[in-house]
Amino acid sequence: MTSIELSGVGKTYGRTHALADVDLTFDRGVTGLLGPNGAGKTTLLRIVATSIAADRGEVRLLGRDPHRSHADVTAVRRELGYLPQELGYPSDMTAFGFIEYVAVLKEWNDRGRRSQEVRRALEAVGLADQATVRISRLSGGQRRRVGLAQALLGDPQLLVLDEPTTGLDPAQRADLRRTLSVLGHRSTVLLSTHQTEDVAALCERVVVLAGGTVRFDGAVTDLVATAVGRVWLADEPGGDALVSWRTGTGRHHVVGGTPPAGADPAEPTLEDAYLLMLGPDADRVLERP
Amino acid sequence: MTTGTQGWHADPALLSSYLAGDLDAVAGASVEQHVTRCETCRAAVGQLLDPRLVDRTWVGIRDAVERPPLPYPLRFARRWGLRESTAVLLAAAASLRGAWLVGAFLSLSFATSAAYASGGTALAPFLLVAPLAPVLGVAAAYGPRQDPLEVLIATAPYGRTRLILLRTLAVLVSVLPVTALLGLAVPGPPWIAAAWLGPALALVPVLLALAAVVGPRLAAIAVSLVWAAVVVNSLRRSFEPTWPVEAAQQVVYLAVAVVACLVIAIRAGADRQPGVAL
Repeated sequence: MTSIELSGVGKTYGRTHALADVDLTFDRGVTGLLGPNGAGKTTLLRIVATSIAADRGEVRLLGRDPHRSHADVTAVRRELGYLPQELGYPSDMTAFGFIEYVAVLKEWNDRGRRSQEVRRALEAVGLADQATVRISRLSGGQRRRVGLAQALLGDPQLLVLDEPTTGLDPAQRADLRRTLSVLGHRSTVLLSTHQTEDVAALCERVVVLAGGTVRFDGAVTDLVATAVGRVWLADEPGGDALVSWRTGTGRHHVVGGTPPAGADPAEPTLEDAYLLMLGPDADRVLERP
Repeated sequence: MTTGTQGWHADPALLSSYLAGDLDAVAGASVEQHVTRCETCRAAVGQLLDPRLVDRTWVGIRDAVERPPLPYPLRFARRWGLRESTAVLLAAAASLRGAWLVGAFLSLSFATSAAYASGGTALAPFLLVAPLAPVLGVAAAYGPRQDPLEVLIATAPYGRTRLILLRTLAVLVSVLPVTALLGLAVPGPPWIAAAWLGPALALVPVLLALAAVVGPRLAAIAVSLVWAAVVVNSLRRSFEPTWPVEAAQQVVYLAVAVVACLVIAIRAGADRQPGVAL
C-alpha cells in the first residue's frame, strides 16, 4: 500500500496558487522537500498532515481519503506525527508536561504507558535530562527538539516534519539523521528544509518544488547528476554564470553559464544542482504554464 | 574506597530473609545498617530483588519528579471520578487555573452585593455578570484560533472539537454552582438564582459558533456587548428588574441557542479543514 498518494492536488489562497496540480506518491523512506520560500512546501506538508484540505485533486493517506469522514481522518491522525513549521509552546509547561499533553491528545490514556512513551520520545531527541525544565528556559534548538519529540510519539507511520533542522547545531543534526534513518525503515518520513546539505545527509529521495509545481522528483544522486558538466573551478569568475564565488583556495566556483578560460570541471554538489534546477538557464526545468 | 565493614559480608540466605521481611527487628536493623555501607552486599541485594519491582519503583520515582502536579481543583475532581487523562487535558486550559476562577467569583460577588444593596430594585448588575461569567471562561479556555499549538490539537486524533467541548463543560461545571449560590443571596424572587442559566446556556453555543469564524476574542466581545445591550435596554425602558430572564425572553434565548447549535452542526459538515467543526 502506498502511504501517501496525491493526484492533481491544488490549493489556492486568494489569488495565489500555493500548489498547482501536484502528483506525488510516497512510501517508506525519508524524502526531502526543497524549494524557495513560497514554493508550496508548507502547504503540501499541511495537506499531508490533515491540517488543511486541498481545494482540488485527490489525497489518499495510508489508503484512506481524509475528507471522506471523521472516522477516516481520525484513523490517519492516529498514525501521524507532525512538526509544524512554527510551533508555539505554552511557556509555563515543562518539556515533560508538554509532551504528555500531546500524548493525551494522541490517545495515550494509560498513565504508566504514557509516561514511558513520553520518556522514550524525550530520549530520542536527547532531552531526557531536561524533562523537568520549563520550555521557556530551553534554548531555541532544544525547543525545536521538544517539538520533534511530540512528533515521534508512538512511532507513527507518517512523519511530517516542516523544517526540523532549524536551530539545530551540527551535532544535533547528526543525531536527527540517526533518528530519521532508523524511522525511515518502517515509516514514511516527509521533511522540508532550506538546507541542501540536510537533504544530502538525511534523504534518499528529493522533491524540488517551485511556484507550487514539482520541478524535480527522484534520488538525491540523480539530482546531483543533472549538474555534471555545468560546474567548474576557474581562476576568474564566470561572466554569464548563474552564480560564482571565490573559494578558500583562491579559485572561483562557477555554476552554470559558459566555462571561463582555463576552467577545470568540478564535482557538483546538491546545492549546485538545486540552484541550476531553479536558475533562469536551467534548460531541463519545465516552466509553469 | 573502604566500606568500613572489616571484610564481612552477609550471605545470600540472610539477605533473602532480610528482603522477605523474615528477620527480627534487631537482625533486620543490623543487615540494613551493613547494606547501606557495603557496596558488595548492596550489589547482592540488587541481584536478589525482582527486577520488575525495581523498575516499577524507579518509574514511580521518576513520575513523582518529572510529572507536573495537577492543579488543586482537578485533583479534587479526580476524587469524584474524573479520568486522569482528561485531567491532564484540562490542566492545560487557562480558564481552569485559579486566577480566572477567583476573578469570576469576585466580579459575581460585586454584582451580587450591588443587587443586594439596592434591596432588589437593581438586579441588573447580577443579571449582567452572571450569564457572562461562563461565556468569558469558555472564551478563555478556547485558545486563540491562530495559536500555533492549535495546529497540533487540530491534527491529533482526540480532535479540536472534542477538546473545546470538554473545556466548555469544565468551565460550566466549575462556575455554575458558585453563581447559583450567589444567586440565592440576590434579593427578589427566588427563581432568579436559576433563571440566569437560560441566557448563560444560550450565550455559550452562540460564542462557540461565532468563535469558529472570528476567533474567541472577538466572539466574546460581541456576545458580551449584545447581552449588555439587552440588560441596559430593559433598564432604559424601565421594565421590571427581572425582565431579561422572564419566560417570554427565555423562549427567545432557547431559539437563539438552537440556531447556534445548528450553525455549528452545519459548519461541521462543510468545513474545509478535515474533521474540525469548531
